[in-house]
Amino acid sequence: MALKLLRDIFAVAGNESRQFWRNRTAILISLVILPLFFTVSLGAAGGGATTRFSPTANIPIAFIDNDLSTDSSRLLQTLRSSGDFNNLLLGYREDSALAVLGTGKIYAAIVVPEGFHNHLANNQTSKIILYADDGEPGVGDQISATLRTVVQDFNPRVEVQPERRGLSQIEIVQKGALFSSFNIGLVVVLGVVQIFATFYEIAGGMAREREDGTLARLLVSPTGLVPIMLGKTLFDSVLATIRTFIVLGLSVYMFGARPSTDLATLVIVSLIVALLTMGFGFVVSALRVGARAVVIVEFFLVLFLFAFSGLVIDKELLRGLSKAISNILPWAYGFEILRRTVLIGRPLLTLASDLQIILAATVIFYVVSYAIFALSRERLAF
Amino acid sequence: MRPVRDSAAIAFKEIRQLGRDPVSLILTFMFPILLIGIFIIITAAFSAPSYNIPVVVADLDTSPASEVLVDKMTTSSIIRVTELLPTEEQALHRVETGDAMGAVIIPQGFGESLLTTGRAFIVLQTDNSKITAPTLIQAAVNREAADLASTAGGQFGVKQVAVEVIVRPISGRPPTGDPILPGFLGMIAILGAFDDIVNAITRERERGTFPRLLLSPVSIISIYSGKMAATVLLTALRTTLMLIIFVLMGLAVRGNILLIYLTTSLIAVFTLSLGLVMSSRIRGSSTLTVLEIALTFPLFQLTGIFQSPELLTSGGRAIARALPWTYGNEALRRVIYLGLGLDAIAGDLLVLMISSLIMLPIATMLSKRTM
Repeated sequence: MALKLLRDIFAVAGNESRQFWRNRTAILISLVILPLFFTVSLGAAGGGATTRFSPTANIPIAFIDNDLSTDSSRLLQTLRSSGDFNNLLLGYREDSALAVLGTGKIYAAIVVPEGFHNHLANNQTSKIILYADDGEPGVGDQISATLRTVVQDFNPRVEVQPERRGLSQIEIVQKGALFSSFNIGLVVVLGVVQIFATFYEIAGGMAREREDGTLARLLVSPTGLVPIMLGKTLFDSVLATIRTFIVLGLSVYMFGARPSTDLATLVIVSLIVALLTMGFGFVVSALRVGARAVVIVEFFLVLFLFAFSGLVIDKELLRGLSKAISNILPWAYGFEILRRTVLIGRPLLTLASDLQIILAATVIFYVVSYAIFALSRERLAF
Repeated sequence: MRPVRDSAAIAFKEIRQLGRDPVSLILTFMFPILLIGIFIIITAAFSAPSYNIPVVVADLDTSPASEVLVDKMTTSSIIRVTELLPTEEQALHRVETGDAMGAVIIPQGFGESLLTTGRAFIVLQTDNSKITAPTLIQAAVNREAADLASTAGGQFGVKQVAVEVIVRPISGRPPTGDPILPGFLGMIAILGAFDDIVNAITRERERGTFPRLLLSPVSIISIYSGKMAATVLLTALRTTLMLIIFVLMGLAVRGNILLIYLTTSLIAVFTLSLGLVMSSRIRGSSTLTVLEIALTFPLFQLTGIFQSPELLTSGGRAIARALPWTYGNEALRRVIYLGLGLDAIAGDLLVLMISSLIMLPIATMLSKRTM
């Protein structure tokens, strides 16, 4: 009995495998485009894991010195030596800089007003003005945040500015591991690529089989429902593992990522997320959803995950309805497991509560889809 | 004259077909509403008046100065001091186990150092595996520490910060305005056009009506022009819907509305041209849609929707500059936020037009070859 079940599972998985390898587009999307696009766009946005990347370093910014004092010159020197402002342009007057802001020639103008030196000499706080092109999303915020950090350490009385020290009254010493934006993004990519691909492979695959008429034949064959579902799961797990290796290979060898956990844990966590998504894929296909609707469900699933799974904003910061949605999305717990293992290096078994939730959700998805399939087999076949 | 009449006939057919398919019709206009809905939820979370991020404090000093600092942190609207712990190790352990997202350790001698030298330090450990919480905690602790220095400056003999930065955005809109809405409009033009191409070609192929259309006396150029005209019309409707939502959300559109329509139309035409090239190789409608959606997510990052391409790495900037959509989104931002005219965005529009003109002959050639 058990042997027959195993044989059937492998037969279905073998059939899936043959179908997959005959379909060039499927191979391209599943194993090339999805892992490559997501990983490369992550690296392109924030640089690799080993390089220090300052987003403001190369942005053209006008520096207008209306004070022309030693202190304002030292401020310019401080900004230039910080490594965060390598493209300060000195040829502008205040009015000419404001005239070109918004045209893309410069993205901000730092103005040192007259009296800058006098205020400092009288032990008063001096002001500098930052005009930012807020037509460019994030540019103004990023430049002002970086500028505030740099001038926080500005000491007009010394020739060579100290590095990240100085006059701050209460210095905040940061402890704990700092992660590059690439490593943080790797968690997102590992999860999203699996969810995107596995959902389409299961729900889309079942919908296509139904539309092609092969699902009806499969359901009337002596192979039971369990081997069909497990066979598809088995083959998709193999694909998910290959994808994990592709994403990790690109991240480690192209962008220098160094996950804090071992390879086995990474593969297991990826598979857990993939299995959860496969379960959901079976539920959607049990609802007799067409191939086009599958794609639309997929789009909104990924969009929901971006909004409510802590990928854009930590789920702990969400409130009200968004918090409730976040709490019932089992993928959110998968991303939490990925973050804790990939970034912090926590052993998988210490994340028992997250694991229990995600495994329970997976089992529920499989049982629900099996029940619907078993109860309405004829309706679903056509 | 004949090609124009044929194109108009094809465009009319497309609109009628869409009107007869209620699911596609709803989806075409639901995308913008759902996208904006999710965006509103995200921005509401980002601009929440309080977060209550759990933070633990270990006050190893217990001096009057450290107690003032702890009091300030307990009244912060950003962080919530959940526990006062006696040792640094216990505080750090709370962060490592995920019970708290940050730990503030006020070292022994903090108050004395502040009184005698005017300077002191505190230790902050945050759970840096989180996306936004560490920055918020750091900003909150920073603010309370600076507040301690300024309000209690006389008491502790501490001087003010040397240089203060005043930010003036050039658009005149509030600095907390929604910087990504124009990008969303661009994204909706892209997604809508991708959806149109699936409706226009691939599903027509699947139904078997595309060969019949090709066998009719209408030229392939007219077929493509007609489908493009239908897309331009649908994009105009989507743009109108988005602009209504923008106005309801309180966003002031400073530029010429017609320029917004022109830009979204050109974004849609380029997307459709690219979609025509892709659909000549990929026959299945769901495969094409999934591929297009897969391409869409990296575009959020690379075409300046969430953040300006100027903030990307040099490689990222090069990719962004090679994507015509980046220019479309840039043009939309300049018109909507800065109120610039055609002369300022002409270069961006030209890039979109030239890219479409390159793509269209390729699509026509590939379609003829794979017919």
